Amino acid sequence: MIDMIEKEDNVITEEEAAQYDRQIRLWGLEAQKRLRGSRVLLVGLRGLGAEVAKNLILAGVKGLTLLDHEQVTEESRRAQFLIPVDADGQNQAQASLERAQFLNPMVDVKADTDQVENKSDSFFLQFDAVCLTGCSRDVMVRVDQLCSSRNIKVFCGDIFGYHGYMFSDLGPEHHFVEEKVKIVKSSDETNDGPKVKKPKVDPNETTMVKKMASFCSLKEALEVDWTSEEAKASLKRTPPGYFLLHVLLKFRTDKGRDPHPGSYAEDSCLLLQIRDDLLEAVDVNPELLPDSFVSTCFSEMAPVCAVVGGVLGQEIVKALSQRDAPHRNFFFFDGLKGSGVVDYFGNK
Amino acid sequence: MFLAVGPLRKELADSLSSCRVLVVGAGGIGCELLKNLVLTGFKNIEVIDLDTIDVSNLNRQFLFQKNHVGKSKAQVAKESVLRFCPSANITAYHDSVMNPDYNVEFFRNFQLVMNALDNRAARNHVNRMCLAADIPLIESGTAGYLGQVTVIKKGMTECYECQPKPTQKTFPGCTIRNTPSEPIHCIVWAKYLFNQLFGEEDADQEVSPDTADPEAAWNPEETAARASASDQDGDIKRVSTKDWARSTGYDPVKLFNKLFKDDIMYLLTMDKLWKKRKAPVPLDWAEVHQLGRSQDDMCGAGLKDQQVLSVGGYSQLFQRSVETLRAQLKEKGDSAELVWDKDDPPAMDFVTAAANLRMHIFSMNMKSRFDVKSMAGNIIPAIATTNAVIAGLIVLEALKILNSDFQQCRTIFLNKQPNPRKKLLVPCALDRPNPNCYVCASKPEVTVKLCVHKTIVQTLQDKVWKLRRGAQIHHRLGLFASNNGKFLSDFGIRNGSRLQADDFLQDYTLLVNVLHCEELPRDVEFEVVGDAPEKAPPPSVPEEEKSITNGNKDSAQPSTSTKAEDDDILIVDSDEEPSSSTTDVSMETGSLKRKLQDAETGETASKRKRLDQQPAAEDDDDDDDIIALD
Repeated sequence: MIDMIEKEDNVITEEEAAQYDRQIRLWGLEAQKRLRGSRVLLVGLRGLGAEVAKNLILAGVKGLTLLDHEQVTEESRRAQFLIPVDADGQNQAQASLERAQFLNPMVDVKADTDQVENKSDSFFLQFDAVCLTGCSRDVMVRVDQLCSSRNIKVFCGDIFGYHGYMFSDLGPEHHFVEEKVKIVKSSDETNDGPKVKKPKVDPNETTMVKKMASFCSLKEALEVDWTSEEAKASLKRTPPGYFLLHVLLKFRTDKGRDPHPGSYAEDSCLLLQIRDDLLEAVDVNPELLPDSFVSTCFSEMAPVCAVVGGVLGQEIVKALSQRDAPHRNFFFFDGLKGSGVVDYFGNK
Repeated sequence: MFLAVGPLRKELADSLSSCRVLVVGAGGIGCELLKNLVLTGFKNIEVIDLDTIDVSNLNRQFLFQKNHVGKSKAQVAKESVLRFCPSANITAYHDSVMNPDYNVEFFRNFQLVMNALDNRAARNHVNRMCLAADIPLIESGTAGYLGQVTVIKKGMTECYECQPKPTQKTFPGCTIRNTPSEPIHCIVWAKYLFNQLFGEEDADQEVSPDTADPEAAWNPEETAARASASDQDGDIKRVSTKDWARSTGYDPVKLFNKLFKDDIMYLLTMDKLWKKRKAPVPLDWAEVHQLGRSQDDMCGAGLKDQQVLSVGGYSQLFQRSVETLRAQLKEKGDSAELVWDKDDPPAMDFVTAAANLRMHIFSMNMKSRFDVKSMAGNIIPAIATTNAVIAGLIVLEALKILNSDFQQCRTIFLNKQPNPRKKLLVPCALDRPNPNCYVCASKPEVTVKLCVHKTIVQTLQDKVWKLRRGAQIHHRLGLFASNNGKFLSDFGIRNGSRLQADDFLQDYTLLVNVLHCEELPRDVEFEVVGDAPEKAPPPSVPEEEKSITNGNKDSAQPSTSTKAEDDDILIVDSDEEPSSSTTDVSMETGSLKRKLQDAETGETASKRKRLDQQPAAEDDDDDDDIIALD
């Protein structure tokens, strides 16, 4: 789909040049044009969704569709900055639309109130990239399978209290460019007469290097076989966030919601149970995800949404603009430690 | 720190709603930070920013829209935040944080200060105010894809000035005037030229060939001969560039031929310079235009500004911009001076044209206006996502501070790509304060060697002042001036005297020990002895992976001189009234030192003091030895 990006106007308007000046100076005009031709689907408009929406709209994508079937509650409204105070009871995507559009009138922002489960396959095919937040594991696996084979970039992300993750599947062959500084010899030796140095070539001259990266499916990434010797050996270096993600996705599947402070006692019990079952089933020591996780994974912390939303937003920008090496294929953030790691799960 | 119920423990949630915090700056980081603070539950927030909104801010400062351009950032930020959080209590100040109104008492109102700045002068200032008020400070910066956050707490961590920061890169005069080898040299030259012709003339911004260039002489006698020869010609040195230009009525063709032909031909006579360098090739106006109208086609696909014109094109641009600037000057009246501004089209056109013509002369590939603007205006590329990440990290540190969990606080670096340990975000332990820090050490002291009979008060002030660059120092007007020319010995200062220098605004005292010496080496008036203060390293380009820069003040330019405002007079002890600070926002870029990157939590790769370091020994505090000067 990326190759078919509409380059209808090859001309950047003066308005765009002025507004996007500081980012064009960073990632170049080509990248900005590709962004300008991209359509993105964003599912889920809670804390993380709002951050991603803001980041993509400011970056200047062609269109962004906000998909969310939930209704605004006081709690969900206070978790993000796009929904007006009097919008309780309205659809979350709808309520976020106006402020989102204000962020950048040059982007075509739409709201869709359907449930993502109910969308047909063809719905997804109109997009260049899809970003799923707050979705069940099954939905994420399904959408990923559908999109990745059509060269539609797939992203997932969630926030659980102080913790967050993002995942990307850019397909088996993602092409991109990297800017490298040209190294030029500054002297030119000639055989006759005194050596006259050529003037120093501008050290800031750069060259674009073409590269390719491959990604596995979400299904593969989540179904890592931990029984092999190799996998066991790598456990020590594995971010606990990976296991945390499994636990929370299972909770979401079983309960149809995320852990809620209102039912802390019951939910924390279930979380520990799920952890035990899951890790036992793959023969992994439960100590790799200590009990303490339970008290730090409820709700969405605003600053954690900002961090993960920033990284996730930038990954989407990179993928659409095909510039700079994408992170492969998970990013885990631990807000307590301030650590953010990138790690690859699945067949390399 | 753990969650009990809800995202935050109840006591913490309560302290969030009652505490008062100050956000310094409402730009890229500031907007994101304000949003995060209110969504996290902070209620009482004050925000200060002297700037107004520009269209180039809109790609990341999301609290602002197109219709806000020209308005106060602090004010509009407040209004936008109130829209989604009407219960927040926000006070906005459209002002400079360096205004003396914001004194130590003002800072003491807050439990926490968070910087969201883009220049070093303001960072230094807030650092000192927070130390004086003993309020924790969260410092941060971003540039492009990179970012950094750190915590500063008096007595516990390094302050912003404990480690010397790389100074802004400057170039030697002869490189600018005689032997440029990179586009930046030509751009600096063009900016100097602007000032010489249209702005404030500065002796350190000469553009004419430098006859005193040591490289030019085959032998020392020749240098002297050259220098006097040019004086006799009544040439370059005697008539100022501006006067000469005035005498020609700012005729663009005459200017062109002088700068790009005559002066270049003069340089060619300094043949030693060109033995190992490619010699410059002069331009002649008539010749350039004989080549016919240049084929500068407007290519549709790119930005207009990204086109590189031909020599003819830049010559025409030179002519047009000179004519426009000449008219601007005329309109302003006699003894008018223009100030260079990258967003002023004719000023930018002028520098683009002049720099490119010079680049061409010196066989360099010419640059587009877009690229020249980046270099001339010190523009730092910026995007929303980097600021979003950093602002998120700031609030996470803030929560630790409010919970008195200082041991959990970290410096965190944001990389573009993960390091070998797979880390994209790298937390590092905070360092202990530098015991010799001129800013935060509890009893900073220095020993200076000088001759009390030969050193006048003014000299002592100037030299001691230089040790503490950047301070806002206040003096009692008038009284001092009359003492400036007197010798130190006139006041009874002798070997072993201890002087006390005070800065009341920033609550800072420096003890100066005098070591008298009759015979100092030639040309040495003043020598610092023993534990030298942290001297700035020689000017060098900060490597991208070693420091974060975040500063792009419009008037920024590489400079070979410090501005006059920085050299304020040193007070030595008395109850002075603070004079109003005239400090212009300095042209340096703010930069946070970046440590080695593979430091794990709990260790730091730096070689400096660790948390268990012994405190410095107490000083002998004998009052009799302290003499106050007036």
